[in-house]
Amino acid sequence: MAAVVSERERVLAGSRAPLIQLAAVEKVYRMGKLDYHALRGIDLSIGAGELVAIVGPSGSGKTTILNLVTGIDRPTAGTVTVDGLRIDAMSEEELAVWRGEHVGVVFQFFQLLPTLSALENAVLPLDFARRGSKRERFERARHNLDLVGLADKTEHLPAELSGGEQQRVAIARALASDPKLIVGDEPTGNLDTVTASEMFELLERLHAEGKTILYVTHDLELAQRAERIVSIRDGVVVAA
Amino acid sequence: MASALLRKSITDLSRRRSRTFFAVATLALAVASIGIFAMPTLIDRAMQKEVTAGKLADVTVWIGGVPLEDSQLARLAALPNVRAVEPRSYFSGRVYVGARRAPIVVVGVRDFASQQAEIVRVTSGSPPRENQVLTEAQNASRGGLGAGAGDLLRVVAGDGSERLLRVTGVGHNLNEAKDVVDGGAAVLYATTGTVASLSGSHGYGSLAFRLADTRPAATRSTIESVRNELAPIAGFRGFTGLPETRAAGEWPGKEDFQKFTDFFSIVTVLALLSALVLIANTMTTLVAEQTAEIGTMKAIGGRRRQIAAVYVKTAMLLGTLGTVVGVGLGIVLSNVLIRFLGSEFFAVDVGFGVDAKIIVLSVLVGVLGPALAALPAIRRATRVPLREALDASGSAVGAEDAGDRLLRRVRFLPRTAQIGLRNAGRRRRRSLATAVIVALAVGNLLAVMGLAAAIASTTHAEWRDHGEDVKITSESGTGLYYGGADLIRSVPGVADVEPIFDAKVVLRGEDGIVWSVHSNTMFHVRISDGHWFTAAQERARERVAVVGRNIARVTGTKVGDRVRLDTAAGPATFRVIGITPSQQENGTVIFVPYRTMHAILGEGAAGTDYWVRTTVHDHAFVDRTTTRIEDTLANLGYGVSTEIEYVGEADNVAANRMITTVIAVLGFLIVAISMVGLANALTMSVIERTREVGILRTIGARARDVRRIFAAESVALAVAGWALGIPVGYLLDRFLVWLVQEVVNVEVPFVFPLANVAYALVGTVVLALVITWLPIRRAVRYRPGNALRYA
Repeated sequence: MAAVVSERERVLAGSRAPLIQLAAVEKVYRMGKLDYHALRGIDLSIGAGELVAIVGPSGSGKTTILNLVTGIDRPTAGTVTVDGLRIDAMSEEELAVWRGEHVGVVFQFFQLLPTLSALENAVLPLDFARRGSKRERFERARHNLDLVGLADKTEHLPAELSGGEQQRVAIARALASDPKLIVGDEPTGNLDTVTASEMFELLERLHAEGKTILYVTHDLELAQRAERIVSIRDGVVVAA
Repeated sequence: MASALLRKSITDLSRRRSRTFFAVATLALAVASIGIFAMPTLIDRAMQKEVTAGKLADVTVWIGGVPLEDSQLARLAALPNVRAVEPRSYFSGRVYVGARRAPIVVVGVRDFASQQAEIVRVTSGSPPRENQVLTEAQNASRGGLGAGAGDLLRVVAGDGSERLLRVTGVGHNLNEAKDVVDGGAAVLYATTGTVASLSGSHGYGSLAFRLADTRPAATRSTIESVRNELAPIAGFRGFTGLPETRAAGEWPGKEDFQKFTDFFSIVTVLALLSALVLIANTMTTLVAEQTAEIGTMKAIGGRRRQIAAVYVKTAMLLGTLGTVVGVGLGIVLSNVLIRFLGSEFFAVDVGFGVDAKIIVLSVLVGVLGPALAALPAIRRATRVPLREALDASGSAVGAEDAGDRLLRRVRFLPRTAQIGLRNAGRRRRRSLATAVIVALAVGNLLAVMGLAAAIASTTHAEWRDHGEDVKITSESGTGLYYGGADLIRSVPGVADVEPIFDAKVVLRGEDGIVWSVHSNTMFHVRISDGHWFTAAQERARERVAVVGRNIARVTGTKVGDRVRLDTAAGPATFRVIGITPSQQENGTVIFVPYRTMHAILGEGAAGTDYWVRTTVHDHAFVDRTTTRIEDTLANLGYGVSTEIEYVGEADNVAANRMITTVIAVLGFLIVAISMVGLANALTMSVIERTREVGILRTIGARARDVRRIFAAESVALAVAGWALGIPVGYLLDRFLVWLVQEVVNVEVPFVFPLANVAYALVGTVVLALVITWLPIRRAVRYRPGNALRYA
């Protein structure tokens, strides 16, 4: 069963230096007059270079974990450490800069800027990070688009690309600053099966190059292609 | 069903609080601007009270310094139709203001405690005794004489000696105050004894009458009885000017103020139009965003009319909220403006007032206006096919068109600025609406600034026509009549002297001023039609006239016409030989040959003035020469007052500055309405794109990157609006110039200073950045997690 972590995976996680560590993390969302406990004190460690899938039913807290790991949200209690940095203690500004340099995020609905071309979308994090010269930034973005197989569509606007192509642009954008960590929130959730599989092969290739990949999915088949599966239910880790 | 739909109307407003706030604010300002229409009623109400309390005269006759006994005054008071009579004496002289001598008129009041008409109200301090004076409240507003109670004024008496008069307080009389506001000398009030000691004459200059019957026929007959009663009295040589009559309900300055408020009303209509564009824009956005919900309502059986009713009710609710706030604001606005204008123009303390008619109008416009403005958008939205409506996202991103491609070519800007620019281009319709709002603001501003510049330049141009440095006015009774020119010419520093007559006349029912001058006058007369009179015509004492263009237009007078002028000596017929565009005395001057007028008025007529040109035009030299002329004439026993042209020009420019300031205040009201609209549009733009802010933050955008994106967008809209606003402003400026000519009957040149266009650009961009500062700050403060969850 996918939800059951094999002995081999446990050993693998233990054998690598942890890149991500969540300790006693709680997250409470205030929804009107009610408090919603999304995470109820979880401990989780993910090693550098791992390919990890987070699975669980809707509302179990999967996306919340991704948001905490990327600094998109802050924990209500507990600590989040990524690559030795306590990101729960960083300011929004520091987090923005940190994400731009160290994390690539891929969303289910691609979230490309509609007025920018594929190339401009892919170069955007480098512009924000002001990394290298303008020419170098574009070379890097072109390289990434080439990597995802879109070298011939660099000037297309998102509206002129298919769903799969848009997600490739999103991955090229996530790779812009050559981050150690790539995080995907249902990265294939809005794609057909064939395209989803192709997209996953791309992520596997990046993993093979040494990137740490953490993704949330509803698709058990895709989850099983991960090295490790973390299973969440009602805000607690039931298997890791 | 009905109550659920009504609930939707209400919750649509509570759900989008920012938008509701801005829509209500826009409406409130629009409704508030209607309050300006209440100004004429409010000021009239206040002035009627003032007229009653001040027992304003129905008729004033000018008798040129006739001593009258109490018994003679009692006989005048007992004439049929006369309810009361009040005599006044006058001394025109000069008072030291620092080293300079400024003109003053000291008005003599027989008894401050028992004034029968034209009451001089003691507004502060105590009534003056001998050698004491009250200063007219308007003196302070003109800046001519800033004396207060306790101050000692050094006044040059008629015999040239200096007298010290102590100020005991402030007095006020509507007619005298109007003379001060119209650029006349500062006015002081004293006892008739003090005036007599200053002028050396015990005569009264005017008699003010309150009448029982103020109808024209009764008034005319009373004036005749007064003339007959005065005729046998020693020293009476006839009326020295046309009797002044005040029709029932009239007050000094009413006509000018009416013109002023007419102009205000026109600018208010412009403000209202701007507000209506904004309201229509707000309602269009509100309805367009709800296209999907409209689809849902249709899908579950909602009929078009039912759905439309929901949004009409929403619009009316918005209107009601805006009206409640706007009516309150309007009452405050109109009262503040009236209080300001009342004290500036009339030195009257206008009490709080409300005009019920205007409130009803405000409620009607405020409640129904938004519903009507929303109808086209509602109609469009309810006709969208169901499938399309259900799929609508509210902020659709269409396919790329030529405009988008053009914006994509703008690559020299930083990426953040490019994103902002393209975002503005993406929401074409809304961006255009926002730019139109800015354009209206810029256009209005450029137009009122242009008009203000035109008024200022006209003032300067008109003063440049004056060739003289000093104008010497003869005082009735002891004035310099004919032949004074040689005397003045003998004063060191005087280069040239020209005698002139300056008298009030009536031309075809309109008040005008006759300037009788030589054919080679030192005044620069510009001629727009016909020609100027020749030396031969003057020698032959021909009855020819060159008429000011404004009075000519109003009376339909053309070159070649024969016109009858009603003068103090009776009617005289003149042939019009030219029209002048000169704006002296608001374009009502009628130039006639000096000798002709001399012949008509006869030796005894008062009113000869002199224009004097000095050898050097330096201000200090002109001051010194003026003092020498005054001293020379005073030593010979002549009573004169002098007006130094450069001082008059400065006063005139200052007076016009007040008018242009008021125009500018109105201009800024329009700009404020537009800026609320701009704030609304940009806030909505930020709120709608909250998720986008979350994504940008997720991929590494810092606060300043996000700020730059939105700042670029608002700057792009501001610049587009500015560019659109230039032609709007140009046309509006032309319209205002035409309007001023038609309504206020003052001809101002069309001026559209390019520097203003540049200032407007800077102002628009800075204002747009200031306005967007708050929503942008809010956007960058969102945590990315919250921003991504925003629906």
